[in-house]
Amino acid sequence: MSNDEIFAAAYREHYWAVSRYVARRLDGRAGEVEEVVAEVFTVAWRRRADLPDTPLPWLYGVARNCLANAVRGHGRRRRLVDRLGNDDTAHGRHIAAGPEADTPGGWVHEALARLSPADQEVLRLAAWEELGVDEIAVALGCGSRAASMRLHRARRRLRAEIDRMRPVPALTEHPRVTVPKEHGHG
Amino acid sequence: MADELDLLRSADPVPAHGPRFPDGPLNPHAEHRLERLLTGADERAAGREGEERKRWSGRPVVPSLLGPGRLRLAWGLLATALVAALTLGLLLSGPSAPPAVAAPRPLVIETGSAPVPLDRLAERAAALAGAHGAPRLRKGTHVRSWSLGMSDDAPPVTLPEERLVRWRPDGSRTELVVATDPRYPGRPVLSDADGVPRLVGDGHVLHDRTYPPSWSGAPPQSPPPRTPDRLRAYLTQAQYTGTPLTTPQLLDAVATLLDHWTLGARESAALARLLAGTEGLRPAGRVTDRLGRRGQAYVTDDAYGVRRMLIMDPATGAVLGLESTLTAPDPRYGVDKGAVMAYSAWMR
Repeated sequence: MSNDEIFAAAYREHYWAVSRYVARRLDGRAGEVEEVVAEVFTVAWRRRADLPDTPLPWLYGVARNCLANAVRGHGRRRRLVDRLGNDDTAHGRHIAAGPEADTPGGWVHEALARLSPADQEVLRLAAWEELGVDEIAVALGCGSRAASMRLHRARRRLRAEIDRMRPVPALTEHPRVTVPKEHGHG
Repeated sequence: MADELDLLRSADPVPAHGPRFPDGPLNPHAEHRLERLLTGADERAAGREGEERKRWSGRPVVPSLLGPGRLRLAWGLLATALVAALTLGLLLSGPSAPPAVAAPRPLVIETGSAPVPLDRLAERAAALAGAHGAPRLRKGTHVRSWSLGMSDDAPPVTLPEERLVRWRPDGSRTELVVATDPRYPGRPVLSDADGVPRLVGDGHVLHDRTYPPSWSGAPPQSPPPRTPDRLRAYLTQAQYTGTPLTTPQLLDAVATLLDHWTLGARESAALARLLAGTEGLRPAGRVTDRLGRRGQAYVTDDAYGVRRMLIMDPATGAVLGLESTLTAPDPRYGVDKGAVMAYSAWMR
């Protein structure tokens, strides 16, 4: 297959996964999602000769940079950086907050939002994009060992935040919410 | 029981099997976009503009969210017109001509804002230095800058740039410099990369180079220390001077440091403490920098008619920017009092 054909196949296969990646970080603002995804594939097209055999993590890497630059280049830096990092609505705090919530969404988002943007991103890639360590390394443009360490540390920090937000008495009062277990990291 | 990743997974705001963006065939819009890419329609519409939007390791610097080619073409025509106007202006005007295109005004201290003493900022920075998850030192820089270009026979011009320097573990580094002004996204900006000021597209790549591995144990290439005294010695060395730094020189050395390193919380704390112990740096009040960040300003004037204003994050004590303005007009170059000579805004 030519580079163009390989690109077209990757586009068809991963268009919606890339759209979800962007939407998760733009709080579902449909108009902007489409624009950013278009930019992601435009960049990917120009670099189609570099497209790896497993293109999705690489596309996530391109998307990550497009998002960051969409923020910078359009004077929406503060607003969107907040969305990427700490904004309330971006992380579902408007949906549910506190240990009494029926679903863990709200407070898990809040725990996530307390971490650094780098920690947040590696965790999102692992949990929401369901990438393995090697794939995370591709998406972040780092080595596998570094990705593994970053994920390890980010998990530990997320765990600490969750523990902080989920005091034991609250858990016993609200047994529907899953309790994080003690476990090793890898 | 779920671990933290399971919990996070269950909080996915856009799940793959949810109602938004589920897997499946492309919609007509996505098909259309693909078709345009495959046929080269987008590239042709973008024309030279597309060429200028070169990418650095897959890291686009300026997003191409301008939409259809028509809009890009409109910008191209506008740029052409502006180049013509500017060229004409440069040809016909002398030093007394109006200031540079889109010359930035100096930052304004917010009236009534209470200056925060540097001691207090240093205390805040120290408190954060040991905090869990605090920012860490990183080699390389990400900076937006505006610098005034002056000439004997042409009006001054302001050249806005964005510079990104990233180091790899093997000691190699990539430097990318583009012409861009965050205050006017998508609009042509001035550049003198070719030696003559001219308008180029927003995001025009001025420099994009990867350097082979290199090491140096001397400031500012070596990592900055985390104590004020050692940091002062480091900055003195970085300025290549054997004599104690004056306060303006110290601020210049800080700029040199931040053009090489993105400080962690510990280094920022050491720097804030060092600045707190520096004479002649006056707290001036609150400002909003050119990236929209709130900061506290600290000012010092030198003997050569230049005022330096350091902008620091009031919450963390980190340095956000440095602005240098003229305290007196310089008619030789057609520069007024208050003109911004240089401005750097550092980002992580």
